[in-house]
Amino acid sequence: MTTTAPPDPRESRVLSRVLGSPSVRLIGKRVLMAVPIILGVSILTFWVLSLIPGNAAQQVLGPDATAAQVRALEQELGLDQPAVTRYLDWLGGAVQGDLGNSLISGQPVSGELGSRLAVTGELVGLAFVISIGLAVPVALLAAYKPNRLVDRISMVVSITGLSVANYVLALLLVLVFAVQMTVFPAIGFVPLSEGVGANLHSLALPAAAIAFPLFCFYTRFLRGDLVDQMQGEDYIVTARAKGIGPWRVLLRHAFRNSSFGLITVVGLNLGTLIGSTVIIEQIFALPGIGQLLLQAINTRDFIVVQACVVVFAIIAVLANLVADLLYAVLDPRIRYGSR
Amino acid sequence: MRPLALVLASALVAAACGGGEDTAGNAPAGPPQRGGELTVLEDAAFGGGWPTGLDPATNSTGGANLSQMGAIYGGLFNLKANDDGSNAKAVPNQAEGYKMLDGGKTVKITIRDGIRFTDGTPMDAKAVAFNFRRAVGSPCTCAPIWPLEKNGITTEGERTVVLNFTRPFAPVINAFPVTNVNWIVSPTALRKMGEKKFKITPVGAGPFTVVTNKLSSELVLKRNPNYFKKGRPYLDRLTIKSIGGDQPAYQALLAGQADAYLGMNTEPLIEQARSGNQLTVATQPPTSPYVIQLNTKAKPFDNQRAREAIYYATDFDAIAKGLFKDRYPVSQGFTGPGGLFHHEKVPGYREHNPQRARQIVNQLGGLTVNLGTLENYVAIQVMTALQTQWQKAGIKVNIKKYELSTLVQEFNNGNWQAMLQTAGAWDPAAGVGVAFRFSNDSPFSGVNDQKLDGLLNGATATLDNAERDRLYQQASKHISDQAYAPFGLAFAPTNLAVDGVHGPGLTTKIPPIVVNSAVIWDEVWRTR
Repeated sequence: MTTTAPPDPRESRVLSRVLGSPSVRLIGKRVLMAVPIILGVSILTFWVLSLIPGNAAQQVLGPDATAAQVRALEQELGLDQPAVTRYLDWLGGAVQGDLGNSLISGQPVSGELGSRLAVTGELVGLAFVISIGLAVPVALLAAYKPNRLVDRISMVVSITGLSVANYVLALLLVLVFAVQMTVFPAIGFVPLSEGVGANLHSLALPAAAIAFPLFCFYTRFLRGDLVDQMQGEDYIVTARAKGIGPWRVLLRHAFRNSSFGLITVVGLNLGTLIGSTVIIEQIFALPGIGQLLLQAINTRDFIVVQACVVVFAIIAVLANLVADLLYAVLDPRIRYGSR
Repeated sequence: MRPLALVLASALVAAACGGGEDTAGNAPAGPPQRGGELTVLEDAAFGGGWPTGLDPATNSTGGANLSQMGAIYGGLFNLKANDDGSNAKAVPNQAEGYKMLDGGKTVKITIRDGIRFTDGTPMDAKAVAFNFRRAVGSPCTCAPIWPLEKNGITTEGERTVVLNFTRPFAPVINAFPVTNVNWIVSPTALRKMGEKKFKITPVGAGPFTVVTNKLSSELVLKRNPNYFKKGRPYLDRLTIKSIGGDQPAYQALLAGQADAYLGMNTEPLIEQARSGNQLTVATQPPTSPYVIQLNTKAKPFDNQRAREAIYYATDFDAIAKGLFKDRYPVSQGFTGPGGLFHHEKVPGYREHNPQRARQIVNQLGGLTVNLGTLENYVAIQVMTALQTQWQKAGIKVNIKKYELSTLVQEFNNGNWQAMLQTAGAWDPAAGVGVAFRFSNDSPFSGVNDQKLDGLLNGATATLDNAERDRLYQQASKHISDQAYAPFGLAFAPTNLAVDGVHGPGLTTKIPPIVVNSAVIWDEVWRTR
């Protein structure tokens, strides 16, 4: 027989304060909202995949297989079942953490995704840091004196970056920095366990290829918004009237306000950021989820495709949640939880 | 900005230079040296994709994964040739020898004494027979097409495996290097691991053993210290990596991140590699010419006149010259110059004659053709050129490119009209041989002709090479007379390697049995 101690009133108060905090309520709300989004993504993916011609059984058996052999394997893999049944089977496993086995290799998808998630996660993270880390100072410099030298150079660079597809940029980067200057590797991935330096070195070019177009876009966006704020907003005029220096006005006042727009744009661009990994991982021979996704599409390995897309969707949802939290951090007036 | 612009400009100027010759077959400096590592790249869309693993009985892309399979399993027989690709022969490797008995109805293969798998178990007749039985029922395009008698695979003593066929089967040994019966797995390891695990970390008796295997991404192999050939393999480590196409692979080689690339197809890059003098360029002797398959079982090509119009409208010589600088010979039959039983000309072959083509099209009251091909650089270039040529002859042409799975569906549906494909093989009866494209019982054929089937079957049923040659010549002439399918340039992939790497099939020439050449990995070495 066990006895339970009465709850400590102080603990209860702390717990209710934590649960009642706007941030926790925001996270809870967003997590709840994420469920139908991810479910919707998975249904949409399943539906689109069911429209693609060709099937995994044919891929496994090869072009010589007879129709009877293909049908038999379809039965074995459950591909002869109606789409709804297959989807529900998959969903039933997925909610329990079992993403199923690859139709082609028979290996568990979770294990495969786990090892590749680190590569893609790191690539996306690094590209994000590079793009934002460069865009903010360049945009500030450009907005400090609009239409002057720095602003014009940044405009030329940005327009160039926005005009070049990232796979072309990737090949150019390899040509210059790997083939001609031999400062970065052209292909391959060194895991973090083999040293941070070597790891970052191996990811430098692929991350730059993804980051550069985003850097260009963020720079133009932030610069435009900052210039608008600096030229037309009353609070800027007030700050200047108080005798605050131009850099301080730009950094402390205009930039803080412009960050909201930047965060929104960054959140909206996450799809581009993640989507870029599919082609960039192929070019740089990186064993990430993008590479896996492309292979799975080519072999009609729907289970793997489904898992990859859902993982990408979860990353996008989580990133947007972080963006929402940043709004609250930047502006204490925002009280999501009370709305 | 300026230094960057200069670097870019100089790189692009360098990239624009053309010319140069094949550098394969040059004698390496000095005897082979032991040690070193090699990183080899393969295109993710072909040899660099091994999604079903590396167990010969379940790997459905084994015919494309010759490198991976050869490095792990070695092979009972290897295709070897002189450095320039001439005098190619299937020679015993893990097999000690073979005998063809009963006029080719019985084959006895003797295994070398003392070979052991890397798990220590013996590679004997029992193990080989076990593998043969698995391979025969395999889903791979690389499964053998043996006309086996019931229980036709038996053993004699500890080292001899006996195959009993229902009819003489001449290409049995020539087909070994590209069929999965060539790759022998350890039955004990397979049983212990189970198929699921075995396909990831397979155990063979080849020159290398698996360290790690990330499917269709990276295969890391290390030297097998107990390999049956003393002092071989020369390399300590071999890594095979998948990469997304010719361009990144080429740049990776130039950047020094890889040592070889197998199966380059992009002609401008091959030209650049030849002129750059940084890489060894080995364009393999072509064995499989392109062919425009015409579906004679459906309109409009159930009419011979329509097929003749295609023959007359097609100018493969112009395509070979214009797009490929005459580097690939044009064939009139189903074998290229690197293959067995090749003849340059077929008597009575309909040559390019656009006026004649236009005349026939007018007589037919117009001709509209759907032409398709597999998505591949060379195939798409050729298909586009054909569209232009045919349109000049008044033929309306719709072109479409397919992935393998959708291409297979098109053939299975039977609604296709014209497909640009490759035909033949080093031995016309081995692998995706001539019957694959022309035999009535193949789903990938547009022809139903008993006379042609008889000629092709007859050629596989005789051990007399002169008789085989005669029958294949007759088959070529019959295909031409009936205007079943115009043949085109015989393309073969190119292998690139950095300086100091040497090896048969890599820096010398070996005819591709089907699409790519099998590198003899235990003889590959690098200057240290």
